[in-house]
Amino acid sequence: MLQNKVSEIKEKSTDEIKTSQSERELYAIQVKYLGRKGKLTAILKGLKDLPADKRREIGPIANEARNAIKHLIAERKKELSEQIDWEKERIDVTLPGKRQEIGHLHPITLVQRDIEQIFTSMGFEIADGPEIETEWYNFDALNVPPDHPARDMQDTFWLKSEKEKLVLRTHTSPVQIRHMQKNKPPIRIIVPGRVFRNEATDANHEHTFYQFEGLMVDDDISAANFRSVMKIFFENFFEQKVELRLRPSYFPFTEPSFEIDMNCLVCGEKGCSACKQSGWLEIAGAGMVNQKIFAAAGYLKNRYQGFAFGGSIDRLTMMKYKINDIRLFHSGDLRFIKQF
Amino acid sequence: MKYSYAWLKDLSGTKKTPAQIANMINMRAFELEETKKIGNDTQLNFNILPNRAHDTLSHVGLAREICAIDGKLLKSEKIINLSNFNDRQSLKHDGLQVAIRENYLCPRYIGAVIENIKVSASPKWLQQRLIVCGIKPINNIVDITNYIMLETGQPLHAFDIKKTTGNVIVRKARRDERIKLLDEKVYELNENNLLIADSEKPLALAGVMGGLDSSVSKKTKTIILESANFNATNIRKTRTALGIQTESSYRFEREIDPNLAEIGAARAIELLKKYGGKNVKVTALNDVYPKKIKPWAIKLDSNYVKSLLGEKIPVAKMKNILENLGINVKVAKNILNCEIPIRRIDLKTQEDLIEEIGRIYGYENIKEQAPTVKVKTPLQNAKRDFENKLRDVLTGLGFSEVMNYSFYGTEDIAKCNLKIEDHVEVANPMNPEQQYMRTTLIPGLIKNVKLNLKYFDKFSIFEIGHVYSKKEEKTILAGVLVNTKEKNQFFKLKGELRALFNKLNIPNTKYEILDTRYEFWNPVRTAEIKIGNISIGKIGELNPAIVKYRTAAFEIDVEKLLKMSAREKLYHPISKFPTVRRDISMFIPINITYAKIESEIKKSGGELVKGIELFDTFKNSLALRLKIGSDAKTLTSAEIDAAMKKIIAALEKKLKVKVRK
Repeated sequence: MLQNKVSEIKEKSTDEIKTSQSERELYAIQVKYLGRKGKLTAILKGLKDLPADKRREIGPIANEARNAIKHLIAERKKELSEQIDWEKERIDVTLPGKRQEIGHLHPITLVQRDIEQIFTSMGFEIADGPEIETEWYNFDALNVPPDHPARDMQDTFWLKSEKEKLVLRTHTSPVQIRHMQKNKPPIRIIVPGRVFRNEATDANHEHTFYQFEGLMVDDDISAANFRSVMKIFFENFFEQKVELRLRPSYFPFTEPSFEIDMNCLVCGEKGCSACKQSGWLEIAGAGMVNQKIFAAAGYLKNRYQGFAFGGSIDRLTMMKYKINDIRLFHSGDLRFIKQF
Repeated sequence: MKYSYAWLKDLSGTKKTPAQIANMINMRAFELEETKKIGNDTQLNFNILPNRAHDTLSHVGLAREICAIDGKLLKSEKIINLSNFNDRQSLKHDGLQVAIRENYLCPRYIGAVIENIKVSASPKWLQQRLIVCGIKPINNIVDITNYIMLETGQPLHAFDIKKTTGNVIVRKARRDERIKLLDEKVYELNENNLLIADSEKPLALAGVMGGLDSSVSKKTKTIILESANFNATNIRKTRTALGIQTESSYRFEREIDPNLAEIGAARAIELLKKYGGKNVKVTALNDVYPKKIKPWAIKLDSNYVKSLLGEKIPVAKMKNILENLGINVKVAKNILNCEIPIRRIDLKTQEDLIEEIGRIYGYENIKEQAPTVKVKTPLQNAKRDFENKLRDVLTGLGFSEVMNYSFYGTEDIAKCNLKIEDHVEVANPMNPEQQYMRTTLIPGLIKNVKLNLKYFDKFSIFEIGHVYSKKEEKTILAGVLVNTKEKNQFFKLKGELRALFNKLNIPNTKYEILDTRYEFWNPVRTAEIKIGNISIGKIGELNPAIVKYRTAAFEIDVEKLLKMSAREKLYHPISKFPTVRRDISMFIPINITYAKIESEIKKSGGELVKGIELFDTFKNSLALRLKIGSDAKTLTSAEIDAAMKKIIAALEKKLKVKVRK
């Protein structure tokens, strides 16, 4: 009888403990069963009035029940204290993040990196040269005759100097000569860099801009090779199929010389303002290296063949990001730069 | 040059439309500028390449191109009817005396005396053609000379013989000689200018413009017609020096064929007889051409053509293309022996001929072919890689990249306390703000700061670019940090540089107080950055007199930095033994810097000092947290206390620091 009562208490209290939701509730359960006037306490207190054999029988069971309840309460208490109050935790995840500054690279840098990466993947080395050049490297060595209009004050920045005549390089081509003077073919280089032209600035013209020059020289490099390399480059750069066409042109440092047009990606050759309704955009000048250039660099004439090309990084950047004013590049305006 | 479609069609016999001609010339010869409908005709404007001005600044020249592209020979060479000219034998030379004093500057001079001229309007069709080509009709004589120039490329001139002494002298001008030209302006000449003169006076500025006093007027009855050839360089120098540009000088300065002189004269006589008045008659003709230019030969190797273009063009095709351009070709095995007509001054080498073959064949017909090369990995450009790394770390630290011009002006130099004599000067700057080559990137960055403060109150920017001195050109990295709400930006920037150097594996950098050449720097808030004994740049605040808000800046020599960071990274084993933290705070005398305290702690604490961290400063007191430990064992607290005691004693004794206990 008494035995049943103990196990009933144990069962009931266990149930209550497990479903209790707060420490306060748990405390009430503890008082209810184990308090001074608690149900189990009453039984334990009554043990001494029982006959010895009954006492020996019930005593251990009741004690065991008390310990079990105590243990369960302690356990539940720990559980309850570790429980998280999700209501208190709640935040508005749609509030803005904390402001964190990250810098932005100049768009010219981004495009220059693209160009360098594509050409280095084709085995081209990156070469550099000075921005202040001698007249010889900038003009004479490149077969630009002394009375060529490019040597006019209107087109070129000349520097005051006591010794040889110095200019701000008008193209990256002097690096061709500098590189060939120090290296023998096979040559594959790409030369991105800052160049200068003494001309008035407007939305499409800058006196300071960036060119990428390429040079490939070996025993039998041909115009057909050139077309192939250009196609690989421009298709990688624009990440789509492009059409290229070569038109005749004239540069003192190449013979034959080409103008390279690419199909207008804005209008798909239909004609738009970007391509002046022609469907084509002029993107680079090029040609087969003039033998006089090899001679100037110290090679034997008619020993090697090669192609050279030069394009405007600014122009490619403007095409890539649809920038409509070249002057933004040197504006230092973060409202512009932070967009890249 | 502006061409008349109708005229080109007449000469070439082409059946192509203006649009087809435009496209064909654009792809095979010269860039199309624009096409414009004028009356019944179409104006085609092509940008004639500088090396082809010799032979194509004329309708005959372009018609020859059209025929060659169409695979034909220009038939209308018939307009070049020299019969009027060939009867010159019957005319007395001494009817017109021509004396060339400067053979080099005037290789050929043809003068003809033409009588019974009646000045009037020229025929409508001729006027129409001039208008389409952008030239205003004036009278029959002037119009005919212009017409012949547009047709053949030979500039002509006519003098009224009555206004001359009846003879021609080609000579250099004398210093201070003057002439009033057709533009009614008086020009002062010198020995560099070539004149057409008579026995008494200058008549024309050779090849550039006629003189007003000897010009044809309504009353003119007899003219001297000039069809000559002048040295290109001299014409160019004269016309640039005097600031004149004419259709005539435009052609002469590009060098033209002396044969054109006789073609031009012959055509002019033909047209003058038709439209210059009744009974027009040539009474004298003198052709002075002392040094005849002969055609020259080029041996062209057909294998070289194939190799350079990368396309197997049949030899017969090559021959055909060259012949249609007026070149005589004899094939012997793989060699094409070419005789070049002297109008093709541009054709001197095999490559020049290969270009002719390539462009007429059509560059689009050359198939792309990937080059065959030996496999090799390209050499790394260490400097470019390093610059890119700098850029990546700096953007990670919140810096945005700008690019500024390589120039600045006297105002920037003065404002930034720089010295003009340190600068390379541009001889022909666009404007005074761009007269000097930059020796530092900071003035450009200051401009950027001023602009961006309009829109942002907090930002960091950097630039990697060249600076120039009379000795050398260097690559510099510079940056600025602006925050209008902060009073001290120096330490923020210094911390960022530390992160940068750490990432680049640059060992201990030192900051030494700057004591010379403050320029734009704040004299008491600037330090020189050193690695070992080498100064690599500066960090500091900008002089508040130059920039309103506290602006911290740095400028570093990229190549020096690159040399310092070239070392490989090596792993240091992580210590197995614990370190303990000990704080000390102290009052420091005014002349003692943090650097001295730090170095004293390291010196006195030796290997046991594993870290020093500043965690508080207030007026003249500092609080430091030291990490004490050993790589060899776990230190006992007695050992730690002893180390601290030693450090404190050294600080107090050597630096007169008062450590709080």
